Amino acid sequence: MQRRIMITGMGVISAIGQNIPEYGQSLRAGRCGIGTLKSVGEPAISVTMGAEIGNFSLETRLQQYAFLPEALIQNAQQYARRSPYAIQTSVVSALEAWENAQLHENPISPERLGIVIAGNNLSQHYQYDNYPKFQQTPEYLSPRYPLHFMDTDQVGTLSELFHIQGEGFTVGGASASGNVAIIKGYQLIQLGIVDACLVVGALADLSPMELQGFYNLGAMGGKRFVDEPEKACRPFDKDHEGFIYGQASGCMILESKESAARRGVQGVAEILGGAMILDGNRLTNPSEAGEIRVMELALTQAQIKANELDYLNAHGTSSPLGDETEIKAIRQVFQDHLSRLWINSTKGLTGHCLYSAGVVEAIASIIQMQEGFVHPNINLDNPIDRACLFSGSVSAPEKIEIAMSNSFGFGGINSSIILKKGGE
Amino acid sequence: MTKNEIFQIVKKNTLEILPKVSEDMIMIDQRLKDLGANSIDRMDIVTQTMEDLAIKIPLVELAQVENIQELVDLLYEKKNSSHP
Repeated sequence: MQRRIMITGMGVISAIGQNIPEYGQSLRAGRCGIGTLKSVGEPAISVTMGAEIGNFSLETRLQQYAFLPEALIQNAQQYARRSPYAIQTSVVSALEAWENAQLHENPISPERLGIVIAGNNLSQHYQYDNYPKFQQTPEYLSPRYPLHFMDTDQVGTLSELFHIQGEGFTVGGASASGNVAIIKGYQLIQLGIVDACLVVGALADLSPMELQGFYNLGAMGGKRFVDEPEKACRPFDKDHEGFIYGQASGCMILESKESAARRGVQGVAEILGGAMILDGNRLTNPSEAGEIRVMELALTQAQIKANELDYLNAHGTSSPLGDETEIKAIRQVFQDHLSRLWINSTKGLTGHCLYSAGVVEAIASIIQMQEGFVHPNINLDNPIDRACLFSGSVSAPEKIEIAMSNSFGFGGINSSIILKKGGE
Repeated sequence: MTKNEIFQIVKKNTLEILPKVSEDMIMIDQRLKDLGANSIDRMDIVTQTMEDLAIKIPLVELAQVENIQELVDLLYEKKNSSHP
């Protein structure tokens, strides 16, 4: 039997909002989080812009959850205060989702709770920062280094903090990691392995070396609008030239409808289905055929017809080949429905959050469904395709019942999920 | 450098690594374990203190240490026999 799977809690920390209400306001206002990068230092690199969270303090963030049980907040502080940035931001987004799902008041048995972390290579900046000291005196390397350099530090820290004792692991799917994690969490519940699952999109804390690497690969934008960072990320605009790096962590609590009902919690949305497929390609180029196949497979899984979809949160990274390929694939899948399908890309506001992109964009989709608007594509001055119903420079009021969110990654990884507005 | 100065550095690092410990709880004849330090915390305190003192002590010698006093003694001995 197919179980119905709800999203019962959400949390986020991003460049355009350090919690769900702030993030929602920024989406509606079309606030862009991209600016001059501050965390690079020496040596100077070619990448000068990005959407950084900025002025992050774990202690300050934890204060906003003062109404949560004191022991939970104290533990969060104790476990994470000396952890790398990516762990601290995961703790913050997970606490908000935990509270949002009322898991502190109406708990689930630890053995029935799972956790899936989206992303791998989560501590690159931490490693980069440790390297100079290591070269100087290896003996002084922190004995905590082996704990932190493994991505499963996220699994360990969050599972201890929230007493999660079911299944838990990290998944990697490059820029599709977030969607892959949502799909894996969904499957864990479908299979009856857990009743609820924390899905955490981890912040991609890239070091200057990874940023320069993406630049040298030719994947990054920001050249033409070097003095106007807020204009550099232009998904589906003729002046797009590559992605702009963004920082965010997002968390969603996935839960079976029975479990949510038992706890008296109403879901904010339902996951109708999702699909992940490979192109069989080790390189960076997208595949129209793969993108068509994954969107169609997601529709089949969700038992939804293409013309029932109201809104598509596109992968739309602002890279020319990626944007053009996605639009070609969308045209094929949606055909005559194209003129009624709202399309935007959250990356125009948040930058490309890489591992967490799927999660923060699913959250953006849900907020738009809940509040009835389509957020703007702020830099879409000259669309590459005139037939698509792209949102314009300001938010449009719109009733969205069913949404699709795409994420595609290097290495021929395609993913698509379908969400339905909750509340019934 | 005196033993008391070294003890103060051990204290500072213990407070940094064990946030639940207050300064008046740390006595020279105590074991770090009894202050709530797990094995990783203890290594962290020792490594940090070695760095502060600019000395290196092989793990095998540290394994003999029973309490803060013995740690301070060992650090003192290494510090004062090391030639910059």
